[in-house]
Amino acid sequence: MRLDRDRIRDLARERGYSLAGLLRSADVSRTAYYSLVRRPSVVPGTVRALARTLGVPAREIFRDDGGSAIERGALRVTEARAICRNAAGASFDGVWHALCLLDLPPIERLQRSLTRGRATPLHR
Amino acid sequence: MGAPPPFTDREADFLRTLLEEGVEFLVVGAAAAALQGAPAVTQDIDLWFANLSDPRLLRALRRAGAAYVAPTLQNPPLLVGGGAELFDVVVHMHGLGSFRQEARRALRLRVGDLELPVLPLARIIASKKAAGRAKDLAMLPALEDALRALEARRRARTGRSARGRKPRR
Repeated sequence: MRLDRDRIRDLARERGYSLAGLLRSADVSRTAYYSLVRRPSVVPGTVRALARTLGVPAREIFRDDGGSAIERGALRVTEARAICRNAAGASFDGVWHALCLLDLPPIERLQRSLTRGRATPLHR
Repeated sequence: MGAPPPFTDREADFLRTLLEEGVEFLVVGAAAAALQGAPAVTQDIDLWFANLSDPRLLRALRRAGAAYVAPTLQNPPLLVGGGAELFDVVVHMHGLGSFRQEARRALRLRVGDLELPVLPLARIIASKKAAGRAKDLAMLPALEDALRALEARRRARTGRSARGRKPRR
């Protein structure tokens, strides 16, 4: 399994990062990044050896237990807490929801706003 | 299945026509706030035009099969027909500079295949504070929290601290 450069670039763009900005924020050097994306496989050799011996692709011996979504959520909680710590009057709920929306592309943010606005007479 | 697009084809065509004709406008209000990540809800999209008698605007309206209805005692300024009903005409933004001053600070946000000029969230907040209507004031806490989140993300992207300095490595 290779790193998907296009996917990384698209996700970065959706979140307003240039590639350089993404690497800086992630504290990943350009050398490390390009070394990873050029590798034919980022799966460790031991895992590939196990998969090869079992006669299955490496991805078949990974378990996806939703950890990535939980990890994203946990990172967002930390981020929201840090923002609230540094801003008097900030509400965790408000910051949290804004961070969730910032992880979506603008068109989806607008779509949510209009759908809910049309469905909720209170906000008319 | 993905979320449905926020615009119908006709509404998207209307915006595209405004952009192609070079009409000077900004997306403002709650829709502009939502585009920037604020959890704001709205039924329509407010457009602030530099000049309502601009021939390019009139040409764009004709191309889209829409028309401008001037304000009277009974109605505010309106756009009708051609998928333009989703859009409200804004003629004045409380507490802000002229259209040209504000347009210089505008963001350009990609919405589908369109790149729309959008009033920055900080300016939307300034305008809502100045307008002072109950419904504007009620939105302020959510908008201010969104601005905090937005600025924190921006600082993270640029590597700047809250005081605008780059941290030493």
